[in-house]
Amino acid sequence: MASQQKNVWAFRFTTLSLVLIPVAVGINYVGKLFAAALKLPLWLDSIGTVLAGMLAGPWIGAISGAVNNIIFGITADPVSFWYLITSIVIGLLVGYLAMTGWIRTFPRAVVLGLIVALAAAIVSTPINVMLWEGTTGNVWGDALYTVLRDGGTPVWIASFIDELVVDLLDKVITVIISFLIFKALPQRLIGLFAGTDQVEKL
Amino acid sequence: MQNTLYVPGDSCVHRLDPVSKILLTVVGLVLTFVLPGHLLPALLLAAMLVLLGTAGVLRRVWAVFAGVALIAITFFVVQGLVYAGNATPALTLGPLTFYREGLLLGLRLTFRLYNILASTLILILTTRPSDLVESLVRRGLPSRFGYVIIAVLQIIPIMVEAAGRITDAQRSRGMETEGSLWVRMRAFIPLMGPLVTSSLIATEERALALEVRGFASNRKPTFLNDETIPSYAWPVRIAALAVLLLGIAGRVMLS
Repeated sequence: MASQQKNVWAFRFTTLSLVLIPVAVGINYVGKLFAAALKLPLWLDSIGTVLAGMLAGPWIGAISGAVNNIIFGITADPVSFWYLITSIVIGLLVGYLAMTGWIRTFPRAVVLGLIVALAAAIVSTPINVMLWEGTTGNVWGDALYTVLRDGGTPVWIASFIDELVVDLLDKVITVIISFLIFKALPQRLIGLFAGTDQVEKL
Repeated sequence: MQNTLYVPGDSCVHRLDPVSKILLTVVGLVLTFVLPGHLLPALLLAAMLVLLGTAGVLRRVWAVFAGVALIAITFFVVQGLVYAGNATPALTLGPLTFYREGLLLGLRLTFRLYNILASTLILILTTRPSDLVESLVRRGLPSRFGYVIIAVLQIIPIMVEAAGRITDAQRSRGMETEGSLWVRMRAFIPLMGPLVTSSLIATEERALALEVRGFASNRKPTFLNDETIPSYAWPVRIAALAVLLLGIAGRVMLS
């Protein structure tokens, strides 16, 4: 197990894994598009990052997250640059936990989703407090923030809860969907990105 | 490439080299957080808008600004109601009382939001993404990562097109995309699954094609075009740094 753990953090920037990054960002983008087209009350805009982490490990997951927010900043919403760190953490965390067995079964994947949601909220809260005194820009979350602050809750805790209610459902469902897609992928593809021995290195 | 914010043009801002524009953006972002009060941030925003106006991209700026107006409104509502320093009632609407201090904080946050946007837009609206990446690769960004950024911009339209095809195909097989939340939720997987699988299979081919063209080579690549840095780049850079120092010095002196 110890040798396997070292493997998880090894840099493997093969051509194949680098080409996976743009695809992951594209999947993020299309996921968001589908969610909007189906009028789902979720964003589902990090499926690609999560899948990249599951397929190619934490580093590629993290880079996918970073590139995603950079590109989204260039193409649509410059504020998303600031949430770069959140995306990087999601990619790293999913990559690491996926490689250490947290996507073996469905219940484990649900737990993984909860961990990711919690981590995303923890990382986003300081950004929200620093930039906007704690609000998130999501109407429902901010309404809750207003109620909590009115009841005397400290800014940091109110902001954390604001972010968590917005993130929780979205991130858990994102991870579950990614897990279902991952399990349905052809074994050959999974082996290809994991760089197992049966595949010749390019 | 219609899916980036870049507005083609030939103004003096467009012709400025990407590195100088990155500097302008960084100076704008730092000043956003350094300048105190309301007047100075307003002046910063005005200066940024003059620059954006010189570049002739104001129409796109307004579109982005309008897109985040809801966030600005929530600042006023939330902080006006519950900001910890609230003391002086300013406005009463039915059961709700808005306080002066909170509304002023809302104004500060709104300036912050729009200053962040305006500073970033100077770089983004007037720089073609490929020029920006090329400029960064010249200065040491590994060219493989340069490829990754450019590839995203090219791959997104292709994947959106594929998404449309998959939606049509699944609909023709009777998949329901309207109805209760559960029905719509269930439709997500048959839409997303084929897209992910097909695009992952395509990555293998793309990786082979890149390898054949020497993508993984460790030789230093040369550039097709020479970099042109306009004569006014250095004066602009020095002026930007001077303004930055002035802002920081002013902040230090005041506090």
